[in-house]
Amino acid sequence: MARIGRASNRLDRVALAACAALSIVALALPAQVRDPIASSLRRSVVAPLLVLQERSELSRRAFLAHDAVVAARDSVALRAMKLVPLEEENARLRAIIGLGARLQWGFVPAEALHGKGVRDEFGLTLSAGSNAGVARLSPVVAPEGLVGVVDNVDPTMSHAMVWTHPDFRVSGMSEDASAFGIVQAHVAAGPGRYLMEMRGVPFRTSVKPGTLVVSSGLGGVYPRGIPLGRVIGETKTSETWARTYLVRPAVFPADVSSVMILRPDRVARGVDNVWASGMVSDSTVRRIVAAGDSMARTAALEEARARQAVQDSIVRDSLRRAGITPTDTTSPTPATPSPAATPVPRPAAPVVPVRRDTTFRDSAAIRRDTTRRPRRDSAIALPTPN
Amino acid sequence: MTLGGLARAILVFVVLTVLHFTLRPLLGWRAPIDFLLLAVLTASVRVRPAGAVVVGLLVGLAIDSLAPDTFGATALAMTLVAYVASWLKAVFFADSLPLNALFFFAGKWLFDIIYFIAEHRLFGVELVQQLVLWSPLSAAATAIAGVLVLVLMRPVLGPAPA
Repeated sequence: MARIGRASNRLDRVALAACAALSIVALALPAQVRDPIASSLRRSVVAPLLVLQERSELSRRAFLAHDAVVAARDSVALRAMKLVPLEEENARLRAIIGLGARLQWGFVPAEALHGKGVRDEFGLTLSAGSNAGVARLSPVVAPEGLVGVVDNVDPTMSHAMVWTHPDFRVSGMSEDASAFGIVQAHVAAGPGRYLMEMRGVPFRTSVKPGTLVVSSGLGGVYPRGIPLGRVIGETKTSETWARTYLVRPAVFPADVSSVMILRPDRVARGVDNVWASGMVSDSTVRRIVAAGDSMARTAALEEARARQAVQDSIVRDSLRRAGITPTDTTSPTPATPSPAATPVPRPAAPVVPVRRDTTFRDSAAIRRDTTRRPRRDSAIALPTPN
Repeated sequence: MTLGGLARAILVFVVLTVLHFTLRPLLGWRAPIDFLLLAVLTASVRVRPAGAVVVGLLVGLAIDSLAPDTFGATALAMTLVAYVASWLKAVFFADSLPLNALFFFAGKWLFDIIYFIAEHRLFGVELVQQLVLWSPLSAAATAIAGVLVLVLMRPVLGPAPA
């Protein structure tokens, strides 16, 4: 029994020595021997385990990436939410740049600073003051139209009374200057308080809904032509001698972020065609199209006339060869006889006053018609006279 | 060891091996649990030292095939650890969980010491840091996992043989 135990111990030690020696030999193997052994092990025994490990690592990566994907998705969603205001701001800035380009001079750009937290409905603080040339009673405009008027000026800042102020008044008129009135804020409760009204329109004058109301320039504070709004309809008031119209304002002060302050010299020179440039360009385009149509029509008529003249010439030549004197119905002008056009000398006849008739013409006149200089834009090659 | 005991030991060995290649990468810890060493240790205490060193050598060579530059280092470490574990199995005859935890901890630490010295990759401060900091942490994690495995698989494994 003890011998068996000693033999087992010896076997264990031998196995240990052999395995340890094998391990050390494996450690000392050169790369060209070691690599094929390792490769064969990887491809056989370890391969299924490596598949398991690969899937586990993929799972872990997916688990870790999930958080990153969710974070990226949230970031994208957040940016998408910010995109709409950015686009709107971009459009507003483009509009204000366009207004500045149309005004060209005599204005001060400013940022409209609304009240702290709660927006002030009757006033705006502007980021430009007297140092920039802003004066009291300078009109404050936006690309859409009139915002208000500067009522207080500091060196670096100013304050504007917007049209929603109960004391705000501007002389307005319809776009075609057929109706004049005083435009002011519509004093009402509810949504109506954000409308304007044009008061004092003569009773005999009717303004259709949708009519653009602009400043009339009367009074000298606001130049003529600044859009105020569009007529919604007539409203009944106690003033029976005049009409009052509700006007949808062109500018909502709460939405204004950038404005232009018109300097007094610009007010004095007026702002004609600054806000009407869109309409002007439309009518210009229409006129250009009409002119183009007219030119095309004229060219077509000229071409048709030349064709007709050529055909007539051919017919007349044929008739002349047949001994028949042709008549011309195309040219209204009387023709003078040409020596070349009278191949057969006529017998002497008594001189009779020639009756000039615009409907009869000899062949010389016809020939002269056919030798008319061709138009440059005509593609028809006219035949040379015989 | 009976045939049933051998089958159960093989089952536990396979489960731990699979865990080594699935749960360990999934956790991705800096001080990872060495389920393969647990498998070798649990197998070693159930076979004679001669069998244990063979298991250790084969498992070590298989793992070494994944890192050919240090081919043989794991095999050497596994062989020595398996022999020592099998030789010391009488200590753990009592089937005490703390002793088994200590056994796993010591086994893993010993394995790391042999492995990192044999592979000749880390030197100086890095080697000391690995052996004094990360290896004990990994050994502790392995010991905890080993105890959990023993608890969970006690019905399958039964008490360690004398």
